[in-house]
Amino acid sequence: MITINEREYHYDESHILNFAEGLIGLPEMRRAVLIPMEDLGPFSWLASVENEKPHFVVVDPNDIFLDYQTGAADVTDAPNMRTLAIVKISSDWKKTTVNLRAPIFINPETNDGAQMVLTDGKYGFEESIPQE
Amino acid sequence: MLVLSRRTGQKIVIGNEIVIEVVAISSEGVRLGISAPTQTSVHRFEVFVEIMEANKAAAGVLDQDERSALQDLSAHIRSKQK
Repeated sequence: MITINEREYHYDESHILNFAEGLIGLPEMRRAVLIPMEDLGPFSWLASVENEKPHFVVVDPNDIFLDYQTGAADVTDAPNMRTLAIVKISSDWKKTTVNLRAPIFINPETNDGAQMVLTDGKYGFEESIPQE
Repeated sequence: MLVLSRRTGQKIVIGNEIVIEVVAISSEGVRLGISAPTQTSVHRFEVFVEIMEANKAAAGVLDQDERSALQDLSAHIRSKQK
């Protein structure tokens, strides 16, 4: 069980994701779970199970941005690789941004995950949500 | 910090797998070639710091205003998906 924002979530041990290197600048984020926000789709929590911190709001960028392409960054050739991007919530939702430059890849077959940095310069760390 | 002198074409090895070669030296700067296992990430330090700060800024508990912003955002995205 894990508590995020005063709400308790149950998770199955078999769903724990392994980030061998942690996230960039957050090496403690090695074992985490992805918890869909049932009433706040398409968003999910990505939360460390070690000490419940840190946790992030994440989203599949393809749910928000048309034609998001990670190029050669997903070096592993797992066919069902999932892509997530970290969302920085602002108290004004129109100012919320998504980190498209450093997506998180998760291999659902092995539950291994890693954060990569796209080097083609197409995307930024703070991309605004399309309003239209 | 360990400080070494190297000439063009000379290398340094870190651990058993990471090799850094001085490819070229000019008045503009030094060009380095880095060979590392695929699972080892290599970044320019400034980029690393930017991502680290972006990650840290996004981590953590949402306050009441941010939670209601997330509700509005979710509603906005779902209305577009329909």
